[in-house]
Amino acid sequence: MSIMIVLLSLAVGAYVLAVIERWAVHGHLSLTGPAWAALALLGRETALPRKSDRLFFEAGPLLLLVAGLMAVAVIPLAPGLIVTDLATGALFLNAALAYVLVALIMAGWGPNGAYAMIGGWRFLGQFIAYAMLIVMPITAVAMRAESLSTVQIVVSQAQLWNVLYQPIGFALFVVAAMGLAWLPPLDLPDATGELAGGVEAEYTGAQLAVLRLARMVIVLALAGAIVTFYLGGWLGPWLPPWAWSAIKILVVAAAMLSVGRYMPRIREARYLALSWKLGISLALANIFIVGVIALVVPI
Amino acid sequence: MLAGARQGAMTGIRRLIATAISRDLTAFVLPGPAVARSMGLDLANFHMRIVGTPRHAGVLIIVGPIPEGLRDAAAVAHAQMPRPRAIIALGTDDIAPLPDADVSAPLTQDGLQSGLADLRRAIAAGAFRPDVADFTAPALAVRVEYTCPMHPEVVSDEPGNCPKCGMTLVPRETAAGGHAVHQPPESMPAMSGHSGHGAKAQDHASHADTADGETYTCPMHPEVVSDTPGKCPKCGMTLVKAGNEGHDGQGAHHDHHGGHSAHDDEDAAQGTEQSHKDHADHAGHESHGGHTGHGGQSSVDTEGIEPHFMSMVEMTKDQPRSSDGLQMEWIEVPFGPFFPGLPAGLHLNLTLDGDTVAGSAAKSLVGITDLPGGVEMASADFADHLAARMPLSPVAYRALTCAAIEDAAGIVPTTDERRARAAAIERERIASHLGWLAEFGAQTGFLWLKSRAGALQMAVQSGGIAEIAALATPLERLIRRVQSAPLLRMRLGGLARVGKDIVACGPVDRARGSRSDVRGDDATLKGLGFEMRIRDGGDALARLVLRCDEITQSIDLIAAAGVIGLPRLPNIGRVSGDGVASIETPRGAARLRVKLTDGKVAEADLETPSTLHLALIDALIVQQELGDALVAVGSLDLSPWEICG
Repeated sequence: MSIMIVLLSLAVGAYVLAVIERWAVHGHLSLTGPAWAALALLGRETALPRKSDRLFFEAGPLLLLVAGLMAVAVIPLAPGLIVTDLATGALFLNAALAYVLVALIMAGWGPNGAYAMIGGWRFLGQFIAYAMLIVMPITAVAMRAESLSTVQIVVSQAQLWNVLYQPIGFALFVVAAMGLAWLPPLDLPDATGELAGGVEAEYTGAQLAVLRLARMVIVLALAGAIVTFYLGGWLGPWLPPWAWSAIKILVVAAAMLSVGRYMPRIREARYLALSWKLGISLALANIFIVGVIALVVPI
Repeated sequence: MLAGARQGAMTGIRRLIATAISRDLTAFVLPGPAVARSMGLDLANFHMRIVGTPRHAGVLIIVGPIPEGLRDAAAVAHAQMPRPRAIIALGTDDIAPLPDADVSAPLTQDGLQSGLADLRRAIAAGAFRPDVADFTAPALAVRVEYTCPMHPEVVSDEPGNCPKCGMTLVPRETAAGGHAVHQPPESMPAMSGHSGHGAKAQDHASHADTADGETYTCPMHPEVVSDTPGKCPKCGMTLVKAGNEGHDGQGAHHDHHGGHSAHDDEDAAQGTEQSHKDHADHAGHESHGGHTGHGGQSSVDTEGIEPHFMSMVEMTKDQPRSSDGLQMEWIEVPFGPFFPGLPAGLHLNLTLDGDTVAGSAAKSLVGITDLPGGVEMASADFADHLAARMPLSPVAYRALTCAAIEDAAGIVPTTDERRARAAAIERERIASHLGWLAEFGAQTGFLWLKSRAGALQMAVQSGGIAEIAALATPLERLIRRVQSAPLLRMRLGGLARVGKDIVACGPVDRARGSRSDVRGDDATLKGLGFEMRIRDGGDALARLVLRCDEITQSIDLIAAAGVIGLPRLPNIGRVSGDGVASIETPRGAARLRVKLTDGKVAEADLETPSTLHLALIDALIVQQELGDALVAVGSLDLSPWEICG
């Protein structure tokens, strides 16, 4: 039952996000826009580039979608409303999202085109840059909750949300999440002005539709993770828990989608340097500070 | 009826899909959105998305006549669009070698609007058709050639085995005409021009281990060389037998194409009896498999390494080495002429070493090749001709032509006329700099800047004195916001620094502290209160800030002039003589020399800033990361249309 509810809310959420993305990126606010766009994509030819690695090319978008759906499985929307409350939920989320990398490399390698390939390798090059900044802040969150279960992590924030308890971890996690979802200004794998679409460049028709849907699911999963880990999940006054989850996730996802509009894309080398030198140091400091606080003033 | 319909009968669900496609138009613009804006077309707000690659587009919007140099590339872009696909041609009917346009409309905003409405109806009614004719442009005809998977330099017209390693050659398709075109699937190593390398490289391989004594090296650390077998001091791997040290060192100095001949000489000099001995060694290992031709290493059995271990060190041994010492396969990737991050019409061929630019070749496909010389042209026609050839700055070039012809005819325009002209050029400068900002925004994903600067450009370039005065506040706000945008300094600071010893002009020159501006000597502009703006730094950031400064200044100059008038050529009669004029165009100083005979232009000689700046590209982008390289090229604000030669 809760699987159906989660999938349904995922579909609704992805659609609302698509509306928001079109508004942010193309300046059109249209409630029916994404529906027509999806239908139009389904009606177009899918082209298989000459000399492509067909398995990788066709499996890439699907794997991306699967990775996103797996990650969603451990996001609690309300008490009891979660696909599976794993004891290792936070770790599972991280493991599921690791397949985003694999999927993008497959999508980059598959079509045998230079733009896509460079896009895929760019993402691989950043791997440590975002992966460490996903997993290290999660460590600090789990330390406070004394559990890797995402439900326990939400419950642990009843007194004080983690965004206030560990703001450094929050900032790092949001940046890393945007890198992982390759959102502007960290959209290095599909940079339009640099790679003419990069990993997306060779996809058309239904495959492009799957790729875009998968991207939306991943953004939702990551927004869900941010809400679960830092913004108190379903916690909140007056409204029912599911409403709080929905509002928080959509606001976070909308912010993630639209912030890149107001700044140029970061340089790849700078992003790497910042993540390694500043990001990882801060993440370690965050773990230390959270550890001290947890020992000295237990909230 | 849609020429690019997809096969299938228009039934049920397909009817709905056709409606969806007609409502959700995705368009690829030829030659590019920047040219469309300069021609006064506002492509925003039609519930149509402009996309960066033809693969994602359903509609090809052709803006104005297609220049000869872009026709083949246009055919390739069209071929990449998935069906159902449509063409709308604005202001032109001659779009060969593309199929006939589905909708033709005049090159105006109204034309675009009604054209798109017609197109939507055509798509909704005929996106699917049971009988679909295939269309292949001549530029897309392919020829099959055969190449070795291990040795891309081996290319043959017939199937067979690789002379170097004996592997079966695999077929590969290349453009029959040898066109270098924007087509990502074909953009992997295009080595067809290098078949001559095959024989030379073969010599090279057979001499690979012509050593005076055996040396040992680490498969992971080629810099580790030892006379005796053992372990690598860096990683502990077993050292493998290698060719002589001098040889490996040489590899580091190879450039991409040119290196082989020097290499051959070296090998010839070393070609002593030992090479024969090595050949014999090879023969002994031939039964092992297909890799004998590779050189010495793979055929040597070493403890700890499988006999057929395909070492990366060995496979990349003969390939050029980049400055970081990491060897990768270099690929040549064409960018342009319709690449979304470059000026339309510019073709940039990059040799990429990973994602680092190892070499570049830039050329304009829309440059000027045919100024009158021999063929006479009436002077008024000449002004129109030159202005029409420069879609990105028609006013400045019209003013330049008028000034040069007036100089030849001995006519001096009135003060009012000069003021009006100066204001018109300044208005174009604001529009052009805004257009550059919009392109910078598009290139770097700064979408707010792209749409805001693009909209202001449209407003400024058709605005009168009052409109521009009213736009002063929004423009200042835009400039403030651009300069304080997060990540901007990180993106542009220190990037593509133009040194003091390099010849440049216009904003590129003034952004490194030089006082080169034709306007500095102009009495009219001095009277309007012109003061030259300069910046130090010489990097891409300084150029952006300088262009913003110039926008502010041009607003003041237009306000001081009080009148805007497009340059008009007076009746010059049937005079003969020589004239010369220089104008500071938005991109720098352009100079035109004309020779009049009986009131007609007999000869003309044009120098343009973009011609000068095209030559800067290679030095600015070599060893830069791909994204940085493209931003560096963009920061020069080239207009491929004004590139001569």
